[in-house]
Formats: sequence, structure tokens, C-alpha cells
Amino acid sequence: MAKIAVFAEIEDGAIHDICLQCMSKARALAGLDGRVVALAAGRGVSETAAKLFGYGADEVYAADHAALAGYISRPFRTLTAGWLVEQAPAAALFPATTLGLDLAASVAGVLSSAGVLYADDVRLAGDDRTARRIEFDRKVVTDYAAADGRMLIIALRDGAADAASFDAGRTGAVKAVSVAPDFVGAAKVLKRDVAKKTINLKGARVIVAGGAGVGSLENFSWIRDLASALGAEIGATRAVVDAGWLPADHQIGQTGATVKPDLYIACGISGAVQHRVGMQDSGKIIAINTDPNAPIFKIAHYRIVGDLKAVIPKLIQLLKS
Amino acid sequence: MSCNCVVIVREVWDTRDLIGSILDEAGHIKPGALQTRFEPEDLNALEVALRIKDQQGGKITAIAVGAPRGVEVLRECLYRGADAAVQVDADASVLDDRALSVLLAAAVKKTDAPDLVLTGTSVVDGENAMLGAMLAAELAWDHVAWVDAVEAVAGGQAVVKRAIEMGYETVQTPLPSVISIGVALLEDDPRSPRPAKAMLKLKMKKTPIPVLTPAELGVADPAALVTTRVTRRESVPPRVIESRQVDPEDVAALKTMLNEVLKGK
Ligand SMILES: Cc1cc2nc3c(=O)[nH]c(=O)nc-3n(C[C@H](O)[C@H](O)[C@H](O)COP(=O)(O)OP(=O)(O)OC[C@H]3O[C@@H](n4cnc5c(N)ncnc54)[C@H](O)[C@@H]3O)c2cc1C
Repeated sequence: MAKIAVFAEIEDGAIHDICLQCMSKARALAGLDGRVVALAAGRGVSETAAKLFGYGADEVYAADHAALAGYISRPFRTLTAGWLVEQAPAAALFPATTLGLDLAASVAGVLSSAGVLYADDVRLAGDDRTARRIEFDRKVVTDYAAADGRMLIIALRDGAADAASFDAGRTGAVKAVSVAPDFVGAAKVLKRDVAKKTINLKGARVIVAGGAGVGSLENFSWIRDLASALGAEIGATRAVVDAGWLPADHQIGQTGATVKPDLYIACGISGAVQHRVGMQDSGKIIAINTDPNAPIFKIAHYRIVGDLKAVIPKLIQLLKS
Repeated sequence: MSCNCVVIVREVWDTRDLIGSILDEAGHIKPGALQTRFEPEDLNALEVALRIKDQQGGKITAIAVGAPRGVEVLRECLYRGADAAVQVDADASVLDDRALSVLLAAAVKKTDAPDLVLTGTSVVDGENAMLGAMLAAELAWDHVAWVDAVEAVAGGQAVVKRAIEMGYETVQTPLPSVISIGVALLEDDPRSPRPAKAMLKLKMKKTPIPVLTPAELGVADPAALVTTRVTRRESVPPRVIESRQVDPEDVAALKTMLNEVLKGK
């Protein structure tokens, strides 16, 4: 039966959420008699990698080496491609993170395999190895088949599968992958400047999100007040994060979090596709925007055409009474 | 130290905020259903190359695959300050990024001593956009993606700022390297990328753009390099959602709305 490989991105001792989605997708593709093999690479990743058994892996490999402390394309692609050649899976799943997207494309280049980024689904049937992607402003669904029985390498889009659940009864021994590629003269990460995640947007039932239409850092108090009246988390567009009004962990969309709360209130958000992909599956969407033609209204259950500075206080008042 | 740059540029479909159906009955993209534009991150890549040239000198060569679309973006590069342009004569619309990367790697090797190859990271909806990574793999060079700025090029190394989830990394990469540029420049700096110059337009309008055929690049049949084939395209049925307008002046309507969405909370 099918053998499926997963690249597990591990940071600060945690397996990336999208990798857990890759694990459940891989398990489903492999079936009961297939095999799921996982690879982790980095410095000090072996211990965390062992958890991959609990998430459904049949074999776990770790390339644990000080020289892999930061992500650099060349050594990572060399070692991952080498491992995939040994394993010869039908498909290899990477998470659609900045690391996973680059590594998936790089490895597909090295191996001359079929590569598809931001895949929403994968189908394997005999020689048919196909990835499906919803694209063109989410208007078109396209099937990409690997030519001539090649290995299919994909980066799985956040939200494309449920995260695998953990089974403490599944354990095993992590196999070491020797790291011998030539690192001499290779690139290196000199400095890392990342914010710590302080909120969990994914778990939120209600999200109040602000966009550039909020206008200023001071005006964000409206968003905060509405959120606290609802017991909601605060989300933002990239425009807001780029303006420095909120830290990056509030960003929702293609390069931020993908969320599915029961209620999403979009305030002063135009609804660019990169934002919509991160929130359009919310249970109910309320949009407040001065522009009646804003694309956000196309996916909103409740369309409020108006100035958020006037509308939000009314909503807060109603919630308090 | 002067720095020679190759910039890979593409004209791509503009897939933002599409209206109406894009596919015909057979699932093919309707002619004229999509506009094209100069890939914005490739424009950023050109801007990065121009800034390096402004600061330390060097030659910029723009390369594109295909005609006539490829030629238009190449002229645009010349008008903005690129020194030379090369067109690879193949039909980019039937090739995937893997096939393009093989052709382009061969074209890059024919360009004298580039220190950096720059292109857009460009994971735009509807484009596979793996070009930079695959090109680096084909050349066996280092690659850095999602780069917002090239901070320095000196001593055989480039130092770049790479955007990652929740922040940035400063990465040092040896020359030559492939660097894929992100979208940030365009959004952060209203003056960038710089527009075409009238003076250069006059000067470069008739400049011949040399053509490299696949055969000259050692590729007999570019289509044979394709690893990923589109087997089916279908329209996603429009999402039918119950949607209604709520008048912000109508307090009772706002109240009903809140009651509905907060039901059971
Ligand atoms: C590769 C890539 C990745 C990206 N990733 C993301 C991502 O993850 N998340 C993301 O959000 N974006 C992302 N973007 C950016 C995205 O394309 C948009 O630029 C961004 O979402 C726009 O944010 P906005 O809606 O806040 O701003 P704008 O588009 O400027 O919209 C502001 C809106 O506010 C309205 N408005 C103005 N004043 C008021 C008022 N007083 N009351 C009510 N409404 C008002 C306006 O009518 C307008 O519709 C990405 C872009 C690229 C190219």
C-alpha cells in the first residue's frame, strides 16, 4: 500500500500545527496497511520528533545537528532529498509555512519531482498522484497530476485537514539521519527577531478583526472594547500588522493564522483574497465597511455599510444593555 | 565591490478579486477572462537589483521566458534601468516551474559571472511559483526566499533580511546565490519600485533583445521537462450564503443581528 512521507517542522520543542494536519492527511492516504514515515531536521529535535509516533507515524527519522539550527535551503534540501530517495514514498507532505514552502519547492527541484504548493487535497490511486488546489481568487479548483509516476511533493495549506490526535500508546525509536552534507561556505542565519505568540486565534470562538479602515493605533480601542464586550480575541489584517498597530500574531490570512470561529466581525477590512482565505469558513461573518463594494461583503452574512466609528459604539451599547 | 545581478521576470495572470466565471464549458481558461500584469514581486526584485547597482555598481541582466509577453516585461526592465535583457524562446504557458528552472539555469550560466540571481517569491493564488527555489536547486546554489531587503553585498557574501512567521531573520548567503524577493517593498515604500524613465524609454525602445533557443540552452524539448500536469479545472460553485444588509441606523435590526449570532452563548 501507499507509503507517505511527512516533513515535520519543529520549533522550540513543538511540532508545527500544520505538520499535525499533514500527519492526519498522510495517515488517511496511507490507509491501514500503508506506512507513514516522518523526518525532522534541526538542532535538538530528536526528543520532540519521538512524539510523531503518537501522531500516527510508523517510522520517525531525525537529522539532529548544530549546523541545522537555522533554516537554510541548501543543506535542508540536500538532506531531505537524500532521505526521500531512500524512502521512495508516493507522496511527501510539507507544511505550507515559509520554511515548508521553500523546502518543498527546493526538494522538488533537486529530485525533478512534481511540486504543488498550497495544496488543499491529495489523491493517490495506483499511478495517479494528484494534488488539488483551490485558486484564482478561490474561483477555480485545479488538479495537478505528477507526470510519469513521479513522486508528488506538496505543501499542505493550513486548514486542509484536521490535526492528528495524539495516541500515547503509539511509541517507537527515532532513527538518526547522519548529517554529512558539505556545510562549508554555506549560508547561515545570523540573527533571529521573532515575536512570541501571545494569543491563540485558532481556538477563539469569536474574533473581532480590524483592518486599515480602523485608521490609527488610538482608534484600535474601539476594536478592543467591542472584543471585550463579546469575550472575543482580536484579529487583524496584514495592513494593520505592517503599520505596527498590532503584533504579528494577530494577523489572519495567507501569511497569518487560518481561523474558523463561530463569529467573525470584520471592521474596516476590504477583504483581499489573502485575508479571506484565513477566515472565510467562519460560522457567521459580520462586515462593517464604508465601501458598499468592498469584497468582504461577498462573504459576509451581515453587511453593515457604515463608518465603524459610529457602528461599533452602538454594538457595544447593545451588548452591555 | 561591484555586484552583477540577473533578474528573472515574468508576466502573470492577475488573480485578484475576479468577477464572473473564468472557465469555459470544457474547463479551460476563457481567453480574455484574466488580465495579466508584471509579477509584482519580480518588479521588487528588479528594484532590489537597481538599489545594489546605485550603491556599488555592476551590471543588471533581465531574463524572461516566452514571447511576446516575455519581451514586454524585458523592455519594461530596460526602461527602469536594467543594462541588458535576454529572452528565452519557449512557450512559458505550457511549462511548469521545474521546466522553466532548467531553461533559466542554463540561461543564467550563459550570463557572465552573476553574483546574485533575483526573482519574486510570488506564491500568488493560481501560480505555482516555485521558480527561485527550483532554479537554485538546478544551479546547486544557495537560496533565500521571502527576502524583504538585501542589506549588504561584500566579501563574497550577501546579507539579507528574510520575512518569516512572526518576524524576521538576517541571513548571510555566499555568492553566487539565488534570492527570492517578497512583497514588502511594494507595500512599505510608496516610491518603490521606481517607474520607467522617459529618457531610457527613448534610448532603449529599439534595443535588440537577444534570443536564446532551448537548443542553445541544451534542451531539446522543454515540454519533456514538465513534472506537473493540469488534468482538470473546474469552477468552484459560488458560495451560497444567507446574506443580508443591516442598516446601521436601525437599532432594532442591529439587536436582532446580535441575538442571532450570539444565540446559545
Ligand atoms: C503574498 C501576500 C500575502 C499576504 N498575506 C496577507 C495575510 O495573511 N493577511 C492579510 O490580511 N493580508 C495579507 N496580504 C495583504 C492583502 O493583499 C491586503 O493588502 C490586506 O489584507 C489589506 O488589508 P485591509 O483590508 O486592512 O486594508 P485595505 O485594503 O486598505 O482596506 C481598508 C478598508 O477599510 C474601509 N474603511 C475605511 N475607513 C473606514 C471606516 N471609517 N469605517 C469602515 N470601513 C472603513 C475601506 O473601505 C477599505 O475597504 C498579503 C498580500 C500578499 C501579496
